[in-house]
Amino acid sequence: MKKELLNEIIKKKKKKIEFTIITNLENGESCIYEKDKPIHKNFKKHQEDINLCFDKKKNGIIDGTNIFVENYIKPIKVIIVGAVHIAQYLVSFVANLNFEVFIIDPRGYFASKKRFPNIKVINKWPREAFSEIQTDKNTALIALTHDPKIDDPALQFAMNNNFFYIGALGSKKTHTNRCQRLVEANFPKESIDKICGPIGIKLGGKSAPEIALSITAQLVSEVYKNK
Amino acid sequence: MKNSFDEKILDEAMDWVEANKTVILATVIQTWGSSPRPIGSRMIVNEKGDFSGSVSGGCVETAVVRESLKLIKKNKNSKKIEFKVSNESAWEVGLACGGEIAVYLEKIIK
Repeated sequence: MKKELLNEIIKKKKKKIEFTIITNLENGESCIYEKDKPIHKNFKKHQEDINLCFDKKKNGIIDGTNIFVENYIKPIKVIIVGAVHIAQYLVSFVANLNFEVFIIDPRGYFASKKRFPNIKVINKWPREAFSEIQTDKNTALIALTHDPKIDDPALQFAMNNNFFYIGALGSKKTHTNRCQRLVEANFPKESIDKICGPIGIKLGGKSAPEIALSITAQLVSEVYKNK
Repeated sequence: MKNSFDEKILDEAMDWVEANKTVILATVIQTWGSSPRPIGSRMIVNEKGDFSGSVSGGCVETAVVRESLKLIKKNKNSKKIEFKVSNESAWEVGLACGGEIAVYLEKIIK
């Protein structure tokens, strides 16, 4: 692989562009391909198969050839509402998992760059903040303020936009009250039931890093749930 | 759902190249049976035999380093190696888990 190609791969990954690396295992020639863009002439006859691999997100050697393809897809987005103590640990656990992380908190003292270096912190109310993030069903919401006026609008946004994971911090009682408010706001029972609350898998710990670990574990298990 | 769990080996490869090292990139290109790491798993090796990342659960990394050093010595750009189930007499090279993998080695050309 040429150094220029390696450089281009790293740049594309940073920009969250989806692409495929194609390698001819016979002669070592490789290139980057983005679907719907022109393909390098030496790989043109395999374009149909390469597109198929991209659509299925399948990595490997194309049958009966010496062509190896590897797909890079957009990372899953994780939106944390509440720039609290648990969020600081959560951010460090999640950093190794290739998620794209955003933190929303309208409270200036919490949402400071100093507390969250290298993370996109949006110091606004959820409704406004969501207009700055492109979300889809590959987005997760982790609500950590347990303050209805901050968490609830975020939960409602996540439910309306079919996020694959929605978790909310708080005791069983807090969660029961939260569900009641969502019923009153006319959200259907099945989408309320999908909210993970109290958040996290049962590990037993109560410290901020332990709770952050249990949330991280639940988040990853949800990624692979329907695979 | 799919997520590309990128282990940042390519970023590290670039750092090594920038530090004037000769870098071999090893990628799992085929797997059969219960192989420990999926297709696309990577490790990098430099001319001193330092390595980072993995192509198995520790079973064949030593052999990948050795093959990478050979590649550098012979001044070749790429090579494909297959690792099969290990037997007791050669337990250093081979996959104890019973899987089989093919690894592609390629030099980062400056």
